[in-house]
Amino acid sequence: MTATESSAVKATTGVPFTLNGQELHAEEGELLIEACDKNGVHIPRFCYHKRMESVGMCRMCIVEVDTGRGPALQPSCMLTVTPEMKVETESEATKDAQDGVLELLLANHPLDCPVCDKGGECPLQDNAFAYGPGESRFVEEKRHFEKPIPISDLVKLDRERCILCDRCTRFASDVAGDSLIHFIDRGSSTQVNTFPDHPFASYYSGNTVQICPVGALTAAPYRFKARPWDLTGSPSTATVDSSGSRVLVQSSQDKVVRIQGVDSDAVNWGWLSDKERFIYEANVSEDRILQPMRRAVDGSLEPMRWNDALKQTSEALGKKAAAIGGARLTLEAQHVWQKVLADEFSVVSYDASLGDDVSADVVDSLPKATYDWAFNAGSVVVVVGQDLKEILPSIYLRLRGVVKDGSVELVEFNYKSGSLAKLARKSVQSRPGELAKDVKQAFTATPGERSSDLNCLVDTDKPLTVIFSRPNVAESADYLTEALQVIQSVRPDAHFLPAFRRGNTVGAQLAGLTPGVREVATEDEIIVEQVAVVGRPTAEILQEAANGEVETLLLLGADPISDFPDKALAEAALDAVNTVIAVDCFENPSVASANVILPVAMYGEVNGHFVNSEGRLSPLGARVTAPGLVRSDLEIAASLAKTAPQSNSDAQSSLETSHMLGSEPIAWDLLELSSEGARIKTPTKPIQRVKADVPTVADGLRLVIGNKLWDQGTIVENSRTLAGLCETFKVRINPADADRFGLTAGAEIVVKNAKATASVPFITDSSVAEGVLWAPANVRGFDPRSFVTFSESVCYVEVSAGEQK
Amino acid sequence: MGYLAGFPITLKKWFEGVTTKNYRAGKGGKSDVKAPKPDRLHGRHVLNRYEDGLEKCIGCELCAGVCPAKCIYVRGADNNPTDPTSPGERFGFVYEINYLRCIHCDLCVEACPTEAITESKLFEFSFEDRKSAIYTKNELLVDEDGKPQQLPWEDWREGEDKATSGWMRATAPSGDSNYVGKVAWSGELGYGVRQPESVELTIKPKSGDSK
Ligand code: SF4
Ligand code: SF4
Ligand code: SF4
Ligand code: FES
Repeated sequence: MTATESSAVKATTGVPFTLNGQELHAEEGELLIEACDKNGVHIPRFCYHKRMESVGMCRMCIVEVDTGRGPALQPSCMLTVTPEMKVETESEATKDAQDGVLELLLANHPLDCPVCDKGGECPLQDNAFAYGPGESRFVEEKRHFEKPIPISDLVKLDRERCILCDRCTRFASDVAGDSLIHFIDRGSSTQVNTFPDHPFASYYSGNTVQICPVGALTAAPYRFKARPWDLTGSPSTATVDSSGSRVLVQSSQDKVVRIQGVDSDAVNWGWLSDKERFIYEANVSEDRILQPMRRAVDGSLEPMRWNDALKQTSEALGKKAAAIGGARLTLEAQHVWQKVLADEFSVVSYDASLGDDVSADVVDSLPKATYDWAFNAGSVVVVVGQDLKEILPSIYLRLRGVVKDGSVELVEFNYKSGSLAKLARKSVQSRPGELAKDVKQAFTATPGERSSDLNCLVDTDKPLTVIFSRPNVAESADYLTEALQVIQSVRPDAHFLPAFRRGNTVGAQLAGLTPGVREVATEDEIIVEQVAVVGRPTAEILQEAANGEVETLLLLGADPISDFPDKALAEAALDAVNTVIAVDCFENPSVASANVILPVAMYGEVNGHFVNSEGRLSPLGARVTAPGLVRSDLEIAASLAKTAPQSNSDAQSSLETSHMLGSEPIAWDLLELSSEGARIKTPTKPIQRVKADVPTVADGLRLVIGNKLWDQGTIVENSRTLAGLCETFKVRINPADADRFGLTAGAEIVVKNAKATASVPFITDSSVAEGVLWAPANVRGFDPRSFVTFSESVCYVEVSAGEQK
Repeated sequence: MGYLAGFPITLKKWFEGVTTKNYRAGKGGKSDVKAPKPDRLHGRHVLNRYEDGLEKCIGCELCAGVCPAKCIYVRGADNNPTDPTSPGERFGFVYEINYLRCIHCDLCVEACPTEAITESKLFEFSFEDRKSAIYTKNELLVDEDGKPQQLPWEDWREGEDKATSGWMRATAPSGDSNYVGKVAWSGELGYGVRQPESVELTIKPKSGDSK
């Protein structure tokens, strides 16, 4: 055996033990099952999972162990290796035990394999085949339960198939913190179930389907869509948010049918949010636009040819044009779009983010952290902004893990306490306009006047990472920027991790598709000391458009009417421009006013690269063929360059570069190798100083518009199963405020300010800060942006009791 | 002269009689009578029903998975609980066999856990285009009486369908030693329940094999 063939490099130090007669070494405190794995000895298992605590439920991993008192059968997932332990994994006694465990597990397991989604990739099948008795001696009737019961909108449970391994329940309570499924009853009727009327409504329910070692848990979107042997997969990266979770996109018959989490040590540890897991359903939605469309005089859409569509687009871009969106494209497409817009069509106004996130320029100047850096034992994490669970759900699980086991201290600053508030060292509730002030207070107060819980922020040499997101689109973004500056000045050693809602925002920054001052890379030198101002913020673009100074607006997968903080301005802008060109796959409120729609390929249909929040570059895999006449963003941009009126040689050469991009990620030169792998180099330019307005003080509550994982985003709306998960609009108010304004639970309340008046449902919620009215963005029923005046830095509303129902 | 040397051979063969067998009736048989077929001849498939009319196919794709010619395409779907197509949760929603590729090996029949797919003895069928060579559920599924559909381009004769149903899996259903060495049948619409039949085993099962 050569060195590369050997499954592991055998350790020569550590705890000595004997495995099947071989003298080996294990790490201090290592579980026997892990030590065996490392040394290439496979022990069958069901309940053991590397990312969860062992419970020893299934007894499949029993092996013969002699610790000096004679051999005994012991579960290897519950046993740490001790010096001079002698382990036999292939002895007669071990085989007998494995045989017995399997026979009993199968005694009540139905013969469902042909109709079971897991059949063909099932650990129970595999283990029964490799270690089982081969024949059943049971003639008795098996245990029966009602066949699959829906435990949530996404997951079905077949209790007959369950082998009670405790993986799903352990995941729900220990990893996700949503203890909504449990074992109930005793003896042979033990079963997994939910509480009555409390479905397993977790953002992470799909993970239980993936880790269930049998087919007891099945996912509604995948059920019966394919069998494991007709799936083919491509490694890829989830793009619904900026976490960069590694996934395997699996297809059958050229349709994406399943997405599985990949256990990537540096990123998502195998876990995915349900949004990342089930997002592929929209690819086959009936409403998907499959050919270029133009708007006829009567407002209806009619098909057109690509050549005409490109010609029209190219003509329109030749006039005074601006572009919005592009944060969800591949890095390659972002790069080429930027080149085509700026170099071919001399468009100077473009912005990939939609003015509802942290400004790219702020992020650019901060020293970045990786997840591993942030969640390393002994560090401190400060979350400024929204609940991570709503915006980076898969990374939230990692944060939750380290906060729960006490290895990382957490301090939050927000307007509505996050899901980890109870576990946090301190959860500081702030109010719009006061975030920077409260952060400053916490970081600069003298030891006497600050709570001892905040000592972990200063006077300590523990590494500090700030995970930040735009906390509220109804207030000026400057408060967050100022808060970050405060932290940076008090703790110059602090690292920062942006939590962008849109997937490839960092990629867009690298490609120069977001506005700001940028270092420019040239051909001969990687990065030169040269800076250029590129792009223009969405707010300015829309304002100009509304003033009639823009003739053409290009929407690169953007829906400003639903997302831009000032809806009225977005509408006015789309109304005022001559031509709206939408590069999109569905009709959404903004695309509805497009004159030309260029249908574009979706997730799983394009190759490329993705840059996550940390700046980690990972590949996107094209698993299936784009349907209809759909083209990829890269193709569209490249063909536009050809039709451009004045062809610019610089841009041509950059287009040529882009053709090699499949194998050569453009950002390679911007990467550096850190101890946690490749990541984007931290820029050296200084942070721009921002001094936010002092908020005016007025009566009433300050409006906060925050995000929920499930909203009416275009892709979610067009996914059959996911569309139903978006909640209906209700506002949340602290109980003290409800008392103060005499609001009774169950009734609607009247919310009003100078811009709008509305009667909306409300609930009291003590996690909301006092003096704040918390409203979800872009959900069904009502749009809270109708209260916002964009030029005011804080938005006030008055509330009063509504009509009693 | 040499080129005439072949003529005597030609003349000799002229009087020797025909060696080519008549396709249907064997040597010297009448051209519109079919020769008897061997018991285990593999013809075109049928998809069977249970006696209550429910389809046997559960859409498990095992037949498609095992087919060496990769000519079966199956998709499963959820049964409507109030009006099921087959017993249980899942039914064969799409079922297609491409007869331009099928080699009639019957591995699909062996693989089927429900005896849904079996072969008839019919091989007298032809088609003019690729589309009609692909039999879908419409053609393969037995009719309401459980009898194979007799399609216009197939040559069915009186009584021929009787030999259609479930050719067997010569192995015993797992765990039931009563059937070792016998062919077991399950009840089938149109043909009822047949008694298990003994088969000749060249290798007798060892007594220990049937625990
Ligand atoms: S449903 Fe699956 S994961 Fe959950 S206990 Fe049963 S077998 Fe284990
Ligand atoms: S008989 Fe053989 S080749 Fe024909 S469909 Fe069945 S498995 Fe495939
Ligand atoms: S015919 Fe049999 S093997 Fe094929 S899908 Fe139907 S039940 Fe499964
Ligand atoms: S894997 Fe050890 S008891 Fe289940």
